[in-house]
Amino acid sequence: MDTFYYLIQNTLPIAIPLLLVALGGMFTERSGVINLALEGVMLFGAFFGCLSILFLENSKINPQIVLIISMCIAAVAGIMYSMLLAFAAVNMKADQTITGTALNMLIPAAILLFSKMKFNSDGVTTDMKFYIQKVPGLSKIPVLGELFFQKTYLTVYIGFLLLIIATIIFYMTKFGLRLRACGEHPQAADSLGINVYLMRYFGVGISGFLGGIGGFFYSVGVMNGNVNGHTGVAGFGFLALAVMIFGQWKPLNILFASLFFAFLRTLAYSVALIPSLNSLNINQTYYKMLPYVATMIALIFTSKKSRAPKAEGIPFDKSK
Amino acid sequence: MHNIFSPQKLLKSKAISAFTAALLAIILGLIFGYIIMVVASPENSLDGFNMVLVGGFSRLGDVFYFATPILMTGLAVGFAFKMGLFDIGASGQYTMGMFFALYVGFMWKLPGSLHWVACIIAGMMGGMLWGFIPGFLKAYMNVNEVITSIMTNYIGMYLVDMWIQGNSVMYVPSKTRTSYLPGSAQIPSLGVANSNVNVSIFIAIAIAICLYIVLNKTTFGYELRATGFNKHASHYAGMNSKRNIIITMVIAGGAAGLGGAFAILAPSIIPGSSMTYEPVSVIAANGFNGIAVALLGNASPIGIIFASLFISHIQRGGTLAALFGYKPEIIDVVIAVIIYFSAFAMLMQTTVAKYFKKHRKNKKPESNANEDPVVTLNKEA
Amino acid sequence: MENYIIEMLHITKEFPGIIANNDITLRLKKGEIHALLGENGAGKSTLMSVLFGLYKPEKGEIRKDGKTVKINDPKDANDLGIGMVHQHFKLVENFTVLENIILGVEPNKLGFLERKKAKEKVLALSKQYGLQVDPDALIEKISVGMQQRVEILKMLYRDNDILIFDEPTAVLTPQEIDELMEIMRGFAKEGKSILFITHKLNEIMAVADRCTVLRKGKFIGEVEIKDTNKEELSKMMVGRDVNLTVDKKDNTPGDVVLSLKGVTVPSNTSKKDAVKDVSFDVRAGEIVCIAGIDGNGQTELVFAITGLEKQSKGEITLCGKDISKASVRTRSKSGMSHIPEDRQKHGLVMDYSLEDNLVLQRYWQSEFENKGFIKRNEIRSYAEKLSKQYDIRSGQGPLTIARNMSGGNQQKAILARELDKEHKLVVAVQPTRGLDVGAIEYIHKQLVATRNKGKAVLLVSLELDEVMDVSDRILVMYEGEIVGELDPKKITVQELGLYMSGAKRNVGKENEHA
Repeated sequence: MDTFYYLIQNTLPIAIPLLLVALGGMFTERSGVINLALEGVMLFGAFFGCLSILFLENSKINPQIVLIISMCIAAVAGIMYSMLLAFAAVNMKADQTITGTALNMLIPAAILLFSKMKFNSDGVTTDMKFYIQKVPGLSKIPVLGELFFQKTYLTVYIGFLLLIIATIIFYMTKFGLRLRACGEHPQAADSLGINVYLMRYFGVGISGFLGGIGGFFYSVGVMNGNVNGHTGVAGFGFLALAVMIFGQWKPLNILFASLFFAFLRTLAYSVALIPSLNSLNINQTYYKMLPYVATMIALIFTSKKSRAPKAEGIPFDKSK
Repeated sequence: MHNIFSPQKLLKSKAISAFTAALLAIILGLIFGYIIMVVASPENSLDGFNMVLVGGFSRLGDVFYFATPILMTGLAVGFAFKMGLFDIGASGQYTMGMFFALYVGFMWKLPGSLHWVACIIAGMMGGMLWGFIPGFLKAYMNVNEVITSIMTNYIGMYLVDMWIQGNSVMYVPSKTRTSYLPGSAQIPSLGVANSNVNVSIFIAIAIAICLYIVLNKTTFGYELRATGFNKHASHYAGMNSKRNIIITMVIAGGAAGLGGAFAILAPSIIPGSSMTYEPVSVIAANGFNGIAVALLGNASPIGIIFASLFISHIQRGGTLAALFGYKPEIIDVVIAVIIYFSAFAMLMQTTVAKYFKKHRKNKKPESNANEDPVVTLNKEA
Repeated sequence: MENYIIEMLHITKEFPGIIANNDITLRLKKGEIHALLGENGAGKSTLMSVLFGLYKPEKGEIRKDGKTVKINDPKDANDLGIGMVHQHFKLVENFTVLENIILGVEPNKLGFLERKKAKEKVLALSKQYGLQVDPDALIEKISVGMQQRVEILKMLYRDNDILIFDEPTAVLTPQEIDELMEIMRGFAKEGKSILFITHKLNEIMAVADRCTVLRKGKFIGEVEIKDTNKEELSKMMVGRDVNLTVDKKDNTPGDVVLSLKGVTVPSNTSKKDAVKDVSFDVRAGEIVCIAGIDGNGQTELVFAITGLEKQSKGEITLCGKDISKASVRTRSKSGMSHIPEDRQKHGLVMDYSLEDNLVLQRYWQSEFENKGFIKRNEIRSYAEKLSKQYDIRSGQGPLTIARNMSGGNQQKAILARELDKEHKLVVAVQPTRGLDVGAIEYIHKQLVATRNKGKAVLLVSLELDEVMDVSDRILVMYEGEIVGELDPKKITVQELGLYMSGAKRNVGKENEHA
């Protein structure tokens, strides 16, 4: 049972970045823009978030507050970086796949450059401790207390809150309705007086917001508050895309998909602690590959009947 | 009848407009790089930038040497692009090719000139295998090749690192790198002083020319480009798209694999040593640089040759700019910026062209006006 | 001074290389039904798009109730009370009826949708005007007729009282057309003003008060319907006396070329089959036309015959050879030519040159290929030969990129390619769609010529005139089944309409043809 608690406790901080970034991708793609730049956006947000931690490290502010402040900075950074994609895709009607790739390549190079110049290292290392051993009060609840309120990070709670807010906005507001229309049939939306260009900017911007936060939460929950230009976010930006497709562009499905993948990854790194698996003596590398292999298998099963937003990837042109 | 060489036609020709588009992207990228240099160290910026622009000329051997792997990955991405596929898995194919080449290099004992040829062929096959996987999944299961390729990049990286680390002949644990390859496995050098440039550059250029011929003069190339332009029409014409997708990805993978082989099998100036690889879970950068090369070269094999030389040239310049205190990573940033702008370079260039047109006197009415006004109008209905 | 609710004065709208509207004036009176008549490409849709704010004219002004107004986007148009039902519906397919109706004018509290309130209003409007809809149904699952009602409700929901209908009857059966006209008369009685774009003279004579005629972007005239007739309107529309019949002599059909037995094809969008248990023959030397409203399975039937999609049941034979499982290439080699419905999607590689497109079905033959290499010279001279023979006009000859050719010439290129290759059967789907009268005449001539040479022709058409004039035998398709086999010389358009709407059938489960 302890193993089970352990696995869940470690899965959640990893699932949350995947979840948030996948949700961000969902908003973009549902508005009609393919967002391959998620990897870059995550890293950008992580970078600025960690810089912010570095800056506030020696002040006497409570770590959790530092986390929230840095999260906001990461969010803003993410939005700004995503505007590069928005501009290229919406105004210049550029190929969205190529632009996304360019933005992904830019950030690790920029981080390495900056870090080598300023810190003589490959990234940003911080010293703050964000780990929460026990949430006062709530951690005493039987079963659920151990699962969700012990040995965790604030990021998990913020993440779930953002999921709820995002889902409400997506389905129950007029903004959400209009956004989804732009991804399915932008000509229809346009003929009804909706500004498709603006909606798509919003869609991309939201993915910048969520992606930046997701990247920062990755740093906090997976990298202990560090950012490295070489390893980046280990392909989480792309894993998030797979999660989004697996979740068929719907928030609740995306939640389950991200939990699934995060669980596999956690399993991979926890083999030593699980006697039954450890005794199988399989090389750890195979476990590390597990999330990626699982992604491919998941895609194989969902791609046959996949129903992507109809107008995604097609630049909107009024004269057409 | 039709004068194909009239100046107007040439100006309008696709090759020229692609070239100016690429040029525009390059200029913007370089400007961006210059700005970074100014910010980092203003007093050295002119020297540093100058080094980036012309440094390569003093290291011509190395320009060709470093151009070779990205020429291959550029061909991989470009060839797949012609068919409408994005081979972002070039890195994984490159790494897999490199591993296969290493394996034959270390584990097979073959006489002199046969050995390195066998290594190269092995590298190609490794890449072909790794290109086959996303190709097959796309063709038969309609799985998006971008994501599967990215997954195979990571899977390939982990597998290769694991296999190398587990092989005592290949790996030197104390130095976390592969051992030195035997001389017979290394590609013959061209003997240029202070450079590892070798025969592989010629092989690479020859392959580029072959691919050009395949694309433009064969029926397979005809089918490939048709499918890339319009897969519905190619289906209507009875083309076997499943088979073509797989063949294309296999060829692309093979090219990228060769890139990895060429890189690792290059001779070393220091006798007794060779190129080495460190299995530290990093995705091969040359795979992504290949994307830049392919875009700059407008996905045409001939254009890619020049694009790879250019990128290698500014990379050499960047390394030399270190003399003035600049980190070579600046060039990586420049390259990424170039790709970003090249994505809409065509559009920018049309905007610039329109601006110039407006300021000229001639505004010839197009002859379409009398024929079938239906064409443009139907599109709006 | 008449009381005009809308005046479009001296409107000029240009696109690169073409003047779509050239100094056009249109005046709409309050409470009238005003038709806008013209052939395909006359500029009707463009003019209405200007009124609706989708385009900005280069010259001219628009007035409402005598006051000049500026309409920069659909929102401005909507504020003035102008609404439009487009020819190709602008509906979001995976939204519900309700969501589509309120999109853009959603009732909301602080941004949160008030679905209940909206539903009540929609149901009330639906009842008031007799427009039956299910607010919670998904658009992709409802019928075309209901989809059009949704489009109309969109306008009513926004309290529009200037209603523009763009070719509304293209997707309706004759009976549904009558219903629509009743609805329009109802609107007019209430004081709403209607603009109704069409190229169908019968409909104008039946329901319109006045009519403005356009031809090739220019204003030709404005007439009172009660003072004119079909012949006059037709002459204004086309500019000359039109001979609407095709010159065709009787022919005795020969052996069976194409035979379908029990063919069933599943649908891509719903659980029902698109084609249900269809059987028929096409003989050498005859033109068989599949008639029916768009969306009744014709597209899927053609895809199954040509091999672009697989049927789930049934057999298809070509000249006695079973091709039910054959690939597209094999069918083409066995003598099947296909002039596809969508020339830009299927028929041509738009970015290829004319010559590369002309060998699209034959590039692998020894005439054009040698050991894997393209024989460029042979392809060039072949293209020149066909261009001359079929009068294909292009800016740079065989090297012209298909995208730069006009629609008519693109279609001629496809026709040339499909008719020149060895064939025993031609499957032509809406071959004259979007073309001017001259091109239409030419293509009909070619089809008849090929039939006279003893080939079999399977024509699929939505234009009733074409169906009646060109075919030797008519098969009517309704909801995936063949419901009628008719002789064009012995029936009227009205009767044909009844079959097309499923109200009548002479081929049923009781009396199946072999």
